[in-house]
Amino acid sequence: MAGLSNYRFWAYAGLAVLLLALPLVGDEFWLNRVAKYLCYGMLGAAVALTWGYAGVLNLGQGLFFGIGAYAMAMSLKLQSYTSLQQGSDTPVPDFMLWNAQPGAPTDLCCITPGSWIWLPFQWQWTGVIVAVILPAVLAGIMGRIIFGQRISGVFVSIITLALVLLVRLVVTDAQPLTNGFNGLTDLGWLTVFSHEFDPYAKGTYYLVAVALIAVLAAARILVATRAGTILQATRDSDTRALYLGYDVPAYQTFFFAVSAAIAGLAGMLYVIVSEFASPSFLELSFSITMVVWAAVGGRGSILGAAVGAILINMIEARVSETEALVEAWKAIIGILFVVTVIYLPKGLSGLAHDGMARLRARRPSFQLKEEAGQ
Amino acid sequence: MVDILFIGLSLSSILLLVALGLAVTYGAMGIINMAHGEMVMIGAYTAVMANIWLGLGLIAAIPLAFAVTALAGLAIERLVVRRLYGRLLDTLLATWGIAILLQQAIRLEFGLSFFGIHIAGLGSGLQNVPVPGALQGTVQILGHDFNAYRIFIVAMTLILAAATWAVMYRTALGMKVRAIIRNPQMAAACGIDVQRTNALTFALGSGLAGVAGVLMAGFKTVAPDMGATLVVDGFMVVVTGGVGSLLGTVAASGLLGEFNALVAMATNDILGRAAVFAVVIGVILLKPAGLFTFKGR
Repeated sequence: MAGLSNYRFWAYAGLAVLLLALPLVGDEFWLNRVAKYLCYGMLGAAVALTWGYAGVLNLGQGLFFGIGAYAMAMSLKLQSYTSLQQGSDTPVPDFMLWNAQPGAPTDLCCITPGSWIWLPFQWQWTGVIVAVILPAVLAGIMGRIIFGQRISGVFVSIITLALVLLVRLVVTDAQPLTNGFNGLTDLGWLTVFSHEFDPYAKGTYYLVAVALIAVLAAARILVATRAGTILQATRDSDTRALYLGYDVPAYQTFFFAVSAAIAGLAGMLYVIVSEFASPSFLELSFSITMVVWAAVGGRGSILGAAVGAILINMIEARVSETEALVEAWKAIIGILFVVTVIYLPKGLSGLAHDGMARLRARRPSFQLKEEAGQ
Repeated sequence: MVDILFIGLSLSSILLLVALGLAVTYGAMGIINMAHGEMVMIGAYTAVMANIWLGLGLIAAIPLAFAVTALAGLAIERLVVRRLYGRLLDTLLATWGIAILLQQAIRLEFGLSFFGIHIAGLGSGLQNVPVPGALQGTVQILGHDFNAYRIFIVAMTLILAAATWAVMYRTALGMKVRAIIRNPQMAAACGIDVQRTNALTFALGSGLAGVAGVLMAGFKTVAPDMGATLVVDGFMVVVTGGVGSLLGTVAASGLLGEFNALVAMATNDILGRAAVFAVVIGVILLKPAGLFTFKGR
């Protein structure tokens, strides 16, 4: 019985072991792809945290992922030897040279208007820190305003959606600062204590895998705390939670910020693995796709949402190897989504929970019968 | 200045075209139909197909597109949306799935392309519809040149808006719909067949999107993914205007379209669009219920 009642713990532990054991069976190229999907898994968990536990559907989660990605990419761009040395002794990203006004000083401080914002990113840890802190701070401010106004439900979704699309347009428009549509490519490697994280090395995979395990564990522990319980109370009835004396906006804001930080971390790691950042992270379809992952995996389960994201992407990668199926796969995703929402609102994890509940319900009944027989 | 205002008016009319149908479905039924943009797309493809296969012109395709998309809307309501009433965010997600499915249906020619069968007018390529000669070129009014087709769109939008208003406020169906907006349970208790009314409303909203699609086919390239951005725009207009308020939708589309044109004039097109999103966020933060709302209880 002890094993069964703790099956949630064993599910987490099982995933952790599985993730850490994967390098035993795959080559570096495959591991690099899986590492990207693990970043998506983090995003799934972030969506589940706000949507499943707080009842707030953030349709702009890509904003936080994008901030994390761009912050890290800015730092790594300044670490890249190939893109810095083109036609200049002073380190300036290549695209800034192409976009600079004739006669502009070839210096990071003032080559293009606003390029001074890149200065702190010469230190690689600025990128790492900004990638996690800025999304959290921004989400904190957004949360204070949105939840403080007691805006809820679909209106939160619209605001977050409008914001991510707004930022996408501004980022693409600021070509001299962000390289516009092209995004940031040709990045250097993250270097920690003179260890370079080559995206196609096992070390980088372990970095992402450990980060995902830590995020999942931390998020799961967080929702089991008193604050997490109150959060779920606000989801089920915010008016009642308010009348019981809880500061509802504060709890919602806190978890909104935590979710944003997780998304920022995911974006940061994604850049380390994939070596690019692009405005496509800020597109509507990406933000909705994350929600799809979480819905299929199970919006009410952090683990489920993460597993959903990883599984869908792994299947997608496998299917996309056959060219004829690429377009058909999108149609399958569409059908899968409709079917999930209608027939499986709790997703795969809901299915697993129900299965476990049935298993557990059966055991005591056997015992009862035996006792009655005696 | 007149030119900029006219560009704004023309942007507004396109926003309103898309938003009219959404105002009906979202306002009346509490359904966030993310496949609304795909209804526009299907309307546009109806015009393309009608032109290729039936030799029909743009204007003759309008009633046809209304019928096709209304039927498609009816099917979506029967198969999916009906099961999701009261689960607002779930309708958003399920209809997003439908939207992808519809896009792929056009792109893959309903799956026939797997068997090597190709239908002219479908597929992943770009299509266009010829504009009737009378609507080409420019018209001179008070010393200013105006694009004739854009004037036609503004006029058609006004006619459609008036027609929608007439349906909502001058017919028995409209009265039932408005009763459902206020209070579905009470409406049902008074003997209104809520399911049937909702199905008809959804068909009406989809049909309006289809007409918008035909009109758009005249100045935009028709492609399977043309609807994806439209639905966001339309939705922002409806929310800004105030859910369930037709007048609010008209006002919001005017406001956002003109604002877009003015900012785009002062800066560039990208920032013009960005400014629209900023206005939408501002309006929702200040007046979460939208600019125009009826007094609820």
